[in-house]
Amino acid sequence: MNNFWTVVRFTVMNKLKAKAFIISTLVFLLIISVVVNIPYIIMQFQGGGEDKTQTVGYIQDGQSIGSVTGQQLEQYFANIEGSKLTFKGFATSGNAASDEETLKSELDAGELYSYLQFGEATDSGFPEIIVKSEKLLDYSVASQIESALQVIRHNNILSEAGLTEQQMKELQAPIVVDAVQIKGSLSAGGEGEGKTAEEQGVNMGIIYFIIIFLFMAVMISGQMIASEVTAEKSSRVMEVLITSVSPLTSMFGKITGMFLIVIIQLASYLAVGAINLSLPHNAEMLKELNIDLSVVDPMLLVFAGLYFLAGFFLFATLYAALGSIVSRTEDLGNAVMPMTFISLAGFYIAIFSISTPDSLLVKICSHIPLFSPFVMVLRLGLTDIALWEVLVSFAILLVTIYLAVVLSAKIYRTGVLMYGKRPSMKELRKAMKAYKI
Amino acid sequence: MNPLVVNNVVKHYADKTAVSGVQFEVSKGEIYGLLGANGAGKTTTMRMILGLIYPDQGEIKYNGKPYSNELLKNVGYLPEERGLYPKIRVSEQLIYLAQLKGMSAKDADRSLKYWLERFEVPENYNKRVEELSKGNQQKIQFISAVIHNPQFIIMDEAFSGLDPVNVELLKATVKELRDNGASIVFSTHRMEHVEELCRNITILHRSKEVVKGSVKDIKSKFPKEKVWLQTKEEVAGLEQLSGVKAVHRHENGLEIEIAEEKVAAQILNHALSQTEIEHFQVKEPTLNEIFIRTVGDRNE
Repeated sequence: MNNFWTVVRFTVMNKLKAKAFIISTLVFLLIISVVVNIPYIIMQFQGGGEDKTQTVGYIQDGQSIGSVTGQQLEQYFANIEGSKLTFKGFATSGNAASDEETLKSELDAGELYSYLQFGEATDSGFPEIIVKSEKLLDYSVASQIESALQVIRHNNILSEAGLTEQQMKELQAPIVVDAVQIKGSLSAGGEGEGKTAEEQGVNMGIIYFIIIFLFMAVMISGQMIASEVTAEKSSRVMEVLITSVSPLTSMFGKITGMFLIVIIQLASYLAVGAINLSLPHNAEMLKELNIDLSVVDPMLLVFAGLYFLAGFFLFATLYAALGSIVSRTEDLGNAVMPMTFISLAGFYIAIFSISTPDSLLVKICSHIPLFSPFVMVLRLGLTDIALWEVLVSFAILLVTIYLAVVLSAKIYRTGVLMYGKRPSMKELRKAMKAYKI
Repeated sequence: MNPLVVNNVVKHYADKTAVSGVQFEVSKGEIYGLLGANGAGKTTTMRMILGLIYPDQGEIKYNGKPYSNELLKNVGYLPEERGLYPKIRVSEQLIYLAQLKGMSAKDADRSLKYWLERFEVPENYNKRVEELSKGNQQKIQFISAVIHNPQFIIMDEAFSGLDPVNVELLKATVKELRDNGASIVFSTHRMEHVEELCRNITILHRSKEVVKGSVKDIKSKFPKEKVWLQTKEEVAGLEQLSGVKAVHRHENGLEIEIAEEKVAAQILNHALSQTEIEHFQVKEPTLNEIFIRTVGDRNE
């Protein structure tokens, strides 16, 4: 036990002192600080342009379908309060080419943001419309015009059909349906009233967060554990180490040490993110988002924590075993590839299923050990899951961890003394029989 | 009963036998020499003694008891290849290794400083291993094996990479450890070290013991087949004597290979009849020659 903590302390201290670790952590902290503040920064830049309206020009000749449309648009946008688009008609000179020249010169002079060109009438009841602008790929004017024309047409047809104003209002009144999730009596989440849409939103956010947190923890620490083991092996310190401390103690000491490191690292990311968010200029924005963390079900957090720990431990032991098989750092990438794919798969299944937490895929995957830490959080947070299902899934996970520990310890015990080429499965199996752990 | 007893151990790897029936005992205050060509099974034998791998057959007893984790604290290991963290400071890693051996950080620090002082490299305390020269790294590696004052010390090629001055320094240290009562298993290719340090040796060849016993006995078992002759003037006709196999002329004397020991007397008489003799010696075979003969012969 004493040796265990010696290994843990050594692992943690060395990592914390390593330049590469310090620098990469600092860089990441910096990136987080910038990213968190990006909305505010962007807003600052837009600040000036906020009230500026964009003027769109068109040629007004009185009766052509184009100028009628233009007029309709002009009226429509004029009636919308706070609209950033205004339209301005220019009298025609009778010559299409010189008309366009006029509009172009206005555009150059900065009077116009863009201008419209009308073509032949189409089935839509409106002519072909081309928005010409000096801006690259500026679709916002075009899309605003599109939706405006939709409304205009809608209203025109309705009023032609002889609907009264009252009827038209009724047609346009929004319909509201609230989705409230309720709990069954065997639910895992404890007593509760179910989740409102708002709570579900918050839960979804929390779940995103937990899944990403677990994924990062597994990826970062898994790689670190595997490469530490390989480094010890390639520098042959391992030979000295295993004559001092049992391989099992050394493996779990390392895993625990890395766990602490990852928690420290991710916690510092979180802390910096939180500090940045609570800066005065960001606090307002946060308030606007209206996130109430108190609606999070504490049972969700408890289960998520358990799954997080179990998942981390499972992946870490397997990574350690893989690291012990190869003897050179260059070969490590290949060896840990399968683990990387599995964790990626679990991560993506969870992320992509977040809108369909009831699908069969999720149900199955929430019982597959290497996936369940990712996927089960989904079901816990977003669906009404029976307690026994969670317990079964967790039990499967625990049994797998036990098997993985035994297997990893054996591989580790065997692997750390095997140099040269990567051992084949057969060699490994044979060698493993020679050791008691 | 001797502290370390290796009893008829056998180890097979996948399809080849690494060690077959090796047996020896090391008493308190003894350095036991384990010799052999590359791949003869020395390292496997040492690893079995260290408990890193278990013998397929046979047993190893430490103070009369079988291997246990408790024993680890009493064992020091100097591996053949450098086994240190390249990027970590000497003080940090040696104190760590000593702590794993059950020392307190304070004792470990004191012991480390003593050894660095002893090896005349106290300035290495705060350096990273990768900054050190090969010889200095070997000193640090040596310290890592003995810092906790172990009862059993396993040394695989202890003096590789050292200059003659440092070899003497470490040799003296090894002798001191021996005199303090450690049981040391020592492997090397350098026969002159073995002759100086080891009481008993085993020469391994292709996983089997081929020569075993005390250095003295082994030497006496091999016939004396060389004569060293230094004379005032040239001696003619040595080659024609029966029993003389070859005559090597060196700068200041002759080395004569003979078939039997009694031929030596004939050479002496032959030379005396021609000139004055400055030096005449019937040479014992060196361990080097014995090694090459036993291992080399079987190679053919």
